[in-house]
Amino acid sequence: MYRRPSRKSRKHEAEKPNLIPILDSVFIFIFFLLMSANFVKIFEIGSDVPIISDATPPKNKKDPLNLTLKIHPNSISLHTGANERRVFRVSKTAKGDYDFFALREKLLEIKEKNVDEDTIIMMPLANVTYEVLVKVMDTVRDLRADDRDIWKKSAEGGDIKVRTLFNNIIFGDLQS
Amino acid sequence: MRRNSIRNRGVRRKSKVLDIDITSLLDILVILLVFLIKSYDATGVIFKISEEITLPTSQSQARNTTGVVVQVSPQKIWIDDEEIVNQDTKRAIRGGIVQPLYDQLVAKKNDIKMIQNNVEGAKKFTGLVNLVIDKTLKYNYVKTIMRTCAEAGYSKYKFIVRGVEE
Repeated sequence: MYRRPSRKSRKHEAEKPNLIPILDSVFIFIFFLLMSANFVKIFEIGSDVPIISDATPPKNKKDPLNLTLKIHPNSISLHTGANERRVFRVSKTAKGDYDFFALREKLLEIKEKNVDEDTIIMMPLANVTYEVLVKVMDTVRDLRADDRDIWKKSAEGGDIKVRTLFNNIIFGDLQS
Repeated sequence: MRRNSIRNRGVRRKSKVLDIDITSLLDILVILLVFLIKSYDATGVIFKISEEITLPTSQSQARNTTGVVVQVSPQKIWIDDEEIVNQDTKRAIRGGIVQPLYDQLVAKKNDIKMIQNNVEGAKKFTGLVNLVIDKTLKYNYVKTIMRTCAEAGYSKYKFIVRGVEE
């Protein structure tokens, strides 16, 4: 009678995969990523230089919005139309900051009525700091997740969600 | 007894290869990879921002674009990491523009245009200027910088800001 072969003898030593090429590639990848890593998140806010033209403007049935934002020492005002009619004015809060919340609410209201309009002309009349200027630009530029939805009609008749508020910022007083 | 036997004397004993467990090392590498991929910036635009400049924070998510970089601190101005004004900047303002900045910007523009005309496939002059400005500076001074750029032929400003921490 033969004995049943023992399990011990059947055991094979597991073959280890050669990890050296993988490690080499991982190290190269790490160096590549280290070179192009951006630890401080840096972004940009775009603005165009205003262009002065003598050419006659295209004949549109609708008057241009000409939305202008003026930063005064104690308030912010919004103006529309060629004659810069004031449509909104908000004073500083009790803390001494500009009331960006009220400004944003008004801008949303204007955007709902003029969904195709993207341009806003900035006219800081007060000598505000650059930090305040960036806050104003943040307020007028993009729609945030907590803002109410604004929709517009596409050429095909479908609804398109508007993603920006007044993203095309132009400084109107550069030559003054 | 066996070791010292004459038969085994000439035989070189094979030293066993040290088997290192690299599992923990691989774990670290994978974590490092994930962290680096998260902070990977595909734009390829790298700013060497001066320590004298504190950037304002913004909610903007717009990625950076390549262009001439103008850095402005309360005392100094740099173009592409080259210091061009190192004094009280008010003295450098003539005719409503910062004269040394204007000269350098025009020189940069001419250089780019010359390369564009002579080298096939060279980058075209886009008229884009990245403005890295200290947050404490006043608008009147910022306006002077912007006017200088516009006079020098740069028609697009990109205000460089620090993203809000998530």
